[in-house]
Amino acid sequence: MAETNEHGHKWTMIVDLDKCNGCNACVVACHAENNVPIASEEEVIRGRGNHWIRIERYWEGEYPDVQARFIPVFCQQCGSAPCEPVCPTYASYHSTEQNLNVQVYNRCVGTRYCGNNCPYKVRFFNWWTPEWDSPLNEQLNPDVTVRSAGVMEKCTFCIQRIRRAENDATADGRELRDGDVQPACAQACPSRALVFGDLYDPESQVSERLPAERQFKLLENLGTEPAVYYLKGEDTHVGE
Amino acid sequence: MTNLTRRNFIKIGAAGTATVILAGCDSDERWVKIETYVRSPEEEVAGNPKWFATTCRQCGAGCGVIARVINGRAVKLEGNPEHPVNRGALCARGQAGLQVLYNPDRVQTAARQDGRATRNYEPIPWNTGINQLAEALNSAGSRVAVWVGTTTPGHLVDLFTRFTDAVGAPAPVRYDLNAGFGGYAPLSNASEGVLGQAGLPTYGIGDADFILSFGAEFLGSWISAAGYGREYGEFRSKRIGKARGYLVQLEPRMSNTAASADRWIPVHPGTEVLVAQAILRLIADGSAGSQERRDLAGQFAGDVDLEEIAEQTDISVETLQTLATTFANASRPLAIPGTPVTGRDNATEAVNAINALNVVAGNLGGSGGISLTPAAPINALAAPTYSNYQDAADLIAAMTNGEIDVLLVHGANPAFELPASAGFQAALENVGLVVSFASIVDETALYADLLLPDRVYLEGWGYDVATPGFQGLPIVSGQQPVVTPLYDNVAAADVLLTAAKSVSGAASALPWTDEVAFIKDIVTQLPEAAYPAEGDDVKWAYFLQHGGWWPAEAPESEAPEVSLGGPVELGPAMYEGDPAEYPYFLHLYMSPILGDGSGASQPWLQGTPDPMTTIAWQTWVEINPRTAEELDLDDGDIVRVSSPNGTIEAPIYRYPAIRPDTLAIPIGQGHEALSRYAKDRGANPVQLVSGTPGNDGNIAWSTVRVKLEKQGENKPLAVFESTVDQGEDVHIPF
Ligand code: SF4
Ligand code: SF4
Ligand code: SF4
Repeated sequence: MAETNEHGHKWTMIVDLDKCNGCNACVVACHAENNVPIASEEEVIRGRGNHWIRIERYWEGEYPDVQARFIPVFCQQCGSAPCEPVCPTYASYHSTEQNLNVQVYNRCVGTRYCGNNCPYKVRFFNWWTPEWDSPLNEQLNPDVTVRSAGVMEKCTFCIQRIRRAENDATADGRELRDGDVQPACAQACPSRALVFGDLYDPESQVSERLPAERQFKLLENLGTEPAVYYLKGEDTHVGE
Repeated sequence: MTNLTRRNFIKIGAAGTATVILAGCDSDERWVKIETYVRSPEEEVAGNPKWFATTCRQCGAGCGVIARVINGRAVKLEGNPEHPVNRGALCARGQAGLQVLYNPDRVQTAARQDGRATRNYEPIPWNTGINQLAEALNSAGSRVAVWVGTTTPGHLVDLFTRFTDAVGAPAPVRYDLNAGFGGYAPLSNASEGVLGQAGLPTYGIGDADFILSFGAEFLGSWISAAGYGREYGEFRSKRIGKARGYLVQLEPRMSNTAASADRWIPVHPGTEVLVAQAILRLIADGSAGSQERRDLAGQFAGDVDLEEIAEQTDISVETLQTLATTFANASRPLAIPGTPVTGRDNATEAVNAINALNVVAGNLGGSGGISLTPAAPINALAAPTYSNYQDAADLIAAMTNGEIDVLLVHGANPAFELPASAGFQAALENVGLVVSFASIVDETALYADLLLPDRVYLEGWGYDVATPGFQGLPIVSGQQPVVTPLYDNVAAADVLLTAAKSVSGAASALPWTDEVAFIKDIVTQLPEAAYPAEGDDVKWAYFLQHGGWWPAEAPESEAPEVSLGGPVELGPAMYEGDPAEYPYFLHLYMSPILGDGSGASQPWLQGTPDPMTTIAWQTWVEINPRTAEELDLDDGDIVRVSSPNGTIEAPIYRYPAIRPDTLAIPIGQGHEALSRYAKDRGANPVQLVSGTPGNDGNIAWSTVRVKLEKQGENKPLAVFESTVDQGEDVHIPF
């Protein structure tokens, strides 16, 4: 389903719910890649846990006919993003070149309007300047800003990896190839439930896999035009 | 520019009997350069990463890792795409390995403890520590014991084994929670019946099209999380000749594996083998599947009463029939026994009962079935063997009897991983010298006299024969330092090689000058790898660069010899505890995030929500909401859970997918030590099981009954999910 455009990219993630098993490898990978602080026990109790990608777990039915479902949720990189127009400082804005919803940390003044307006609840506010007990600070990824108190943050589709891959391709004098960019979550995922790529590239894995019979988008009816495609689980329930 | 050696050059004084010199550095790979950001070497471009291939040691699986290193700092771990175990994937624990390296509570040099469990550690020079060890080993003779775990790198286990052989001591005990709770010993023993030889089998999940899992949490902390997670992705994919796999998980509490299954069956605890026997009978008597399968099933099907089994297992005859038909008709069905089977009495026989299904499936030794990892290609690299709990218990008995003068512990934490009734701590009183190689003071190191902290895996050398291997390949995973060692620590292998020089009988068995010389010696003997390499130096360089050795193609394997006789007639598991006093079945599981508990030292893992409950940082007790209602229990209410063996306290979490007669508790927390992040947090439910070896020499992890008492206090749960019930009015405090 490649879309065509002369310039830029349309970065897309496919989340195959038939493969996601809630292992949380993606969650830890994202913390490591993006310097996302860990909320303490007390903060989690206060509802201030923060993960740019999280595994939502839904119960359906009652014992013994109960089922659990996992849905990895992260910024949907909405094409028509409710978080953008409410930002008074243009900290939350749309990159037309990458088709991404971008957060400019040093413009953010912490009104938290964007967090309020995001229907997916994937934006997190830094209530304090995050601290890492030394020498844990050595683990920080120098390619990613460490956000300070008062700043909103969220999944970026690992924009630093996109940039690096673009620079490397330019240095090699070639076009970006499918697979050059791997966000940390998709790279770690053992079952390959997460597939990432450029929908403007007709040869990319995401273009080849979409449209899929099982596809849907989260809260599609809100008109947010998410860039994330979910594929429904395929349970067939033999003999029930 | 400072040159630091990767191996400390230590001269040990002539004190006592030993005069030993830790080998100096003679080749380039033992040097690394530390650079400041402002003065970089010419080839270092600021901000440009370097990549090193190494091996994960967060569990025993031996996944290949690529570390991203910028200006001397390791900033990200990724799966090695070439490595046959994980092919680029990495589990949550594997990702968190950086926090093993950069943990703020690491032991930074050798130390002596002034009185056991006093936490009075006095740093000592390494030569003093090594000399003390050498002297003790020299006078102990064969009265030495070594206790290692699944995460102890293979090269170190090999060196320890050479040492114990040389001094006439028993081989190292290799037993920890991964091996014990994972059922390595019964699984390995049962391979004899179906694969002709003992050994930890690989389950070909990726190529199977129907899986009956008897509580095997292969998407949790079971045996090879990243490897089986990768296989599961293939299992769910459709390929030419293979339909999307269908998974049925039988277990009393829905794990994240069961949640991902197509069907979860809350089987009555302890009756898994009855289900297997019923299915065999139904296949034998039915019309589904090939004649060959029906005949084979006839060989293994005992004289069973289906109605009675339905009653005992809480699974209707119709459902049993469906399972049997589906299994018989599937093209590549597979049965996998998990901890409910390996953690019961007669565990090996119980595994045999499940394995009979694999014989019927005809899936032995090939893809989509169970198979053994082919032997490593050179004699020096034996497939790792894991001890049964009985071996550990025998060692504890020997310690109690004063037969052990020196105990060396590496990669295992028996003081945490065994119930107190195993008597490990008490037995230490009769051991002259206890040496811990732990990099963070754990519960066992609390009782050590001497701390000789090993370098952590991201700063150390090693190899590991990956077991289970995948795709029928023998795999020797390579481990190399990705950063300069952070502290003044000496590799445990070098400590041993150095000390052994002055131990009579041991010196000739351990002739290598140092760890790298030993590993290089082994690696250069390996035959042709998947990548071309000529000559010893190139072989060694490529071994490091590719992250290990494996051949391009799986060696030819012969059809295994099945010696499983007739039907396995085993009754339901025997439970400990009188049902009148202890009304609930206890279902323990290893936290999918914290693993064997060592993960509790890493804040990334502490802060990651449990997949099913979304709880972080805590221990909780899962209870069916109906049972909770009867007992007037709400989320967060503290309860005391007691078994005939012990007691723990933890808050309640009402869990919709657990049998009303069962309580489930994750293993992982409840540490007295193991860094600021782990200490005094949650409870350790291992205390609820019995330390007396069962009739199969294992710990009965899954056959204990417990009771519950409300404590009248409440602890708010650190849940990530919403705590608002549907339709509830909430006041938002903003
Ligand atoms: S790593 Fe993959 S399988 Fe695991 S929770 Fe994330 S998306 Fe799901
Ligand atoms: S998911 Fe939320 S944060 Fe992301 S673009 Fe959409 S509205 Fe904005
Ligand atoms: S499965 Fe084990 S070896 Fe593999 S990444 Fe996870 S912890 Fe590391």
